[in-house]
Amino acid sequence: MSTRREFLATLGSSAIVSIGAVTPPAFLLKAAAAEAKEEPETVLVIIQLSGGNDGLNTVVPYSDDTYRRDRPALAIGADRVLKIDDECGFHPSLRGMADLFESGKLAIVHGVGYPNPNRSHFESMDIWHTCQRKGSPRSTGWLGRYLDASQTGSGGDAPALHLGGDKQPLALAAEQVRSPTIGSLDRFRLHDGGDTQLRETIEELVGQSREGGGDLLRFIQTSSKAALKAGRRIEAARRGYQTPIDYPQNRLAENLHTVAQLIDAGLGTRVYYLELAGFDTHSQQAGAHAALLNELGGGVSAFLQD
Amino acid sequence: MAAHLFRRAGFAANIDQLDQAVEQEPADVVKRLVIGPSESKEAERESAEFAQAILASGDPKQLSAWWVYTLFRTEYPLQEKMTLFWHGHFATSAEKVQDANAMYSQNQMLRRFALGDFSAMAHEISRDPAMLIYLDSVTNRKAHPNENFARELMELFCLGEGHYSERDVQELARCFTGWEIRHGRFRFNRYQHDSGDKSIFGKTDRFPDGSAIDLVLQRPAAPRFIAGKLVRYLVFDEPVASRALIDPLAQQLREQAWDIGAVVDRILASNLFFSDHAVGRKVRSPVDLTIGLLRSLGGSTNAQRLAGELVFLGQGLFYPPNVKGWDGGRAWINASMLLGRANVVGRLLRDKTTRYGRGDLESYFRNMGIRSAADVVHALCELMLAVPLPKDARERLTALAEHGGGNPSQRIAKTIHALATLPEFQLG
Repeated sequence: MSTRREFLATLGSSAIVSIGAVTPPAFLLKAAAAEAKEEPETVLVIIQLSGGNDGLNTVVPYSDDTYRRDRPALAIGADRVLKIDDECGFHPSLRGMADLFESGKLAIVHGVGYPNPNRSHFESMDIWHTCQRKGSPRSTGWLGRYLDASQTGSGGDAPALHLGGDKQPLALAAEQVRSPTIGSLDRFRLHDGGDTQLRETIEELVGQSREGGGDLLRFIQTSSKAALKAGRRIEAARRGYQTPIDYPQNRLAENLHTVAQLIDAGLGTRVYYLELAGFDTHSQQAGAHAALLNELGGGVSAFLQD
Repeated sequence: MAAHLFRRAGFAANIDQLDQAVEQEPADVVKRLVIGPSESKEAERESAEFAQAILASGDPKQLSAWWVYTLFRTEYPLQEKMTLFWHGHFATSAEKVQDANAMYSQNQMLRRFALGDFSAMAHEISRDPAMLIYLDSVTNRKAHPNENFARELMELFCLGEGHYSERDVQELARCFTGWEIRHGRFRFNRYQHDSGDKSIFGKTDRFPDGSAIDLVLQRPAAPRFIAGKLVRYLVFDEPVASRALIDPLAQQLREQAWDIGAVVDRILASNLFFSDHAVGRKVRSPVDLTIGLLRSLGGSTNAQRLAGELVFLGQGLFYPPNVKGWDGGRAWINASMLLGRANVVGRLLRDKTTRYGRGDLESYFRNMGIRSAADVVHALCELMLAVPLPKDARERLTALAEHGGGNPSQRIAKTIHALATLPEFQLG
């Protein structure tokens, strides 16, 4: 796996440049060029806040007059934020994030976006996923392009995994690399009903290479073999995996828990894509938002501790 | 060859059907598959009754179960296979539409035109309430024409990417202003309609009443686009079909007023279709896999449960993942899907509601005169595989069928389960 800096450099060259042909910011290129020690074990976990998270109420510019004036009902005041500095603070539900920040484990990047934002949900999400404005073909996503470009060996395991619903995020769409979507770890193993003879027969038969069969057959055979292998690794890891950490009881936390198990299993996957949905709040915003941020903070915090 | 034809022109055939087919000329078998049954509408009637019960519940998720049930029973498998094709082509998801009646109506419309006139279908879909809801075209205003539908019409339904300009999209969108839904039905709102001149593909006209759709269909890219998709669906997943292959089919579509049935007939009766370039050159979709498995054994199972399994495998009926439908081909193959497919087959075989010709597996084969383990394995390979197995694989499977533990039906079930995990089984 390439270093974090190489990863950013690839982003710089393929993704950011595509938005209106802006050259990558100098700091990214510098970061890429600067040599740092290798970090072979880094894994990127992405949590998409679907529906459109209200960023201004997540990291709150509580001392800004414009903010308070334009949000008479929703503004979060100095008395309620978890302060970061004189100007901003976390939404009160993000206790977990605030703690991570305090211990130096959290960084915030402000103001990430693109010029003339599109207000349509689908359109805007597509732009975010592909870094292409309208008029350019959107067949690949920013992560997909990275995966194609880096073609890292992940030991036969999928280089990226999407945990969640059945729709693959456009960000992962790539020309060559396939990133599976899995709902739960249980899907990753062969259910043989405990029948060893059956399992052995299957593993032997799948394991044989198919020389004369043609491209498609060979592709399926190698994929099947890899799938069985991954399944075995995960099963073994699940048996061995112990965690003292108490994960909250919600979908995101479960998924983060799954990611922890997969990393522990030594799966070669380097990118995990998760989603937390429900941010498309138009009414009852304050309560819904607080609940979602609570889920986010709690889950991430537990995961990082694990 | 007969098995190959039935797999592609439907969802596989059982032993009896195959035996009958080999007695006939391939061209005749194809003809019958394309035209469908002349009488015996019993399966149709039962399916319609089931549909009414489901529509009464108003739950779109149940529609998937209805379609699965229809797939088990259909006597016109090619029509269902093509309906499924159009469902992916004019992708509309109940997830967003949420209206069971609208989704069902659309499905019935697709079925009506599945082997019929594509041009008529394009006109129908442009006024289809489920489609309009799905594409956010429920109101299409003069002052703010909805470009979504115009773009999808050209990009996804008729021409493919790269055969139109942004300007064409904008002008085409104006043609559909005032096209709305009221009370679940299409309505033309003339107050919201922009009746001025529009300039599309270099032609200027007012383009009233959906005549712009005809303009789009007149583009040379249109029949090539549809012919290309048909070849991919019926003949081979890869490589991309050449112009030499597509052009004669496109020309036929043009000359025969978009008659899909005629082109499908030609494809299925062609030498190419029965050649090495086609046999075993498609990855079976989850529907092909599961429904095909059951139909080839004269079987059926709990439709609701199977509908759920199809979602699990990435092909939820009435729930395509996005406007592009299902990619198919290698997209069906990834680590968790492969294991998922094997696991689903395992579950199907263990499910107590699964029946094979009204009985269990052992009696089904016995009634066909197939008794020994070797004969069972041989029959299974003939029925289900598009490509041959390595020799020792057959021997291993025969050993499993003989000594696998459990009663005869259970042993056969295990053998099928093992067969279903093999790479060869994924090809159809």
